[in-house]
Amino acid sequence: MSNATVNLNSMSESELDVLERKIAGKYMHKVPWGAVVWGIGNLIAWLALWPLVLMDIIPLWLGFILATLNVSLSYLPSHEAQHNIIAGKGQPLRWLNELVGHLSTIPLVLPYRVLRHTHYEHHSHTNDPQLDPDFNIHADSGWHFLWKSIMNRQPESGRSEAYPETLKRTGNEHIILDAVIYQTVYLTIMFTLAWSGYAIEAALLWWVPKQIAITYIEYYLSWAPHHPSKEQGRYADTRGFKSRLGNLLSMGMQYHIIHHLYPKIPLALTPAAYRALKPILQRRNCHLGEL
Amino acid sequence: MKLIKLLLSPIVFSIGFLTPLLAQLILATRTELSTPVAYGTALTISIAFGIIAQHRGSWLWVKDHE
Repeated sequence: MSNATVNLNSMSESELDVLERKIAGKYMHKVPWGAVVWGIGNLIAWLALWPLVLMDIIPLWLGFILATLNVSLSYLPSHEAQHNIIAGKGQPLRWLNELVGHLSTIPLVLPYRVLRHTHYEHHSHTNDPQLDPDFNIHADSGWHFLWKSIMNRQPESGRSEAYPETLKRTGNEHIILDAVIYQTVYLTIMFTLAWSGYAIEAALLWWVPKQIAITYIEYYLSWAPHHPSKEQGRYADTRGFKSRLGNLLSMGMQYHIIHHLYPKIPLALTPAAYRALKPILQRRNCHLGEL
Repeated sequence: MKLIKLLLSPIVFSIGFLTPLLAQLILATRTELSTPVAYGTALTISIAFGIIAQHRGSWLWVKDHE
């Protein structure tokens, strides 16, 4: 047993809290410029695919692969903005935080304000079957997740009602209008393209990539870090896990436990924060798997 | 509100998007077919799925917990 572990074991809960917050504080309050460039650049890249494919500059199959990448990568920059990591209220770069938040999820057809409010509820009530808006993503296994993910996209699934119900419950019913506007604009664009002779292009640059991306994002952001989703509480509702695809392809979600403990730590710094906090998390009996 | 609900309904999606998508896929693979035949076939198939989705609440007939 190392000296550090022995020292941690002799600490009281309040001393441990102070040390934990002190370590975590070193990774906060840093503007994640990478996420800013990623969010805006990714949207521009996805938008550029449309003329490139429609004017036959690049083949449709290549456009499909790139679009799937773009749409899959469109959530996380907004996630940084949802937690005010780029800039909080009243700070000079607040406009940039909100810009990245709004722009980056356009390919997913998910409004920023809806995501922000429902995501806060997910943090406040993680794994609560009644109050966690992402609870219906939970499943017994990876294959079960895939099946539920398909079922969740059916018109009368509980998933399609989860976010509107959360917004109503928290007094933010007016924000549902954002989702209605986004869906209306999205469908109008898709219908127009389709009846103008570009249905296959619209399907492969937006509709299918969106379906793949939603599955991928929900798997790594909602299912894997909270599986088996039976426990609640600060140190029990999220786990560390080793992804077979590695940290990059699992979008950094191996360290999602750090995000739930300290949402202000930028995504890019969660691995370093995890390494620094690991002895404390072990002392607190967190689920860290082989990470 | 009713107009928005209609626009977001499965039936409208099946006519607005699935029909031309299916028709253009048919025309891309079966070039000997005429455009009206392709669109007519696509409309029939799409509408059938749209009605299932509208009334069952699932495009695939099966629903969760069944």
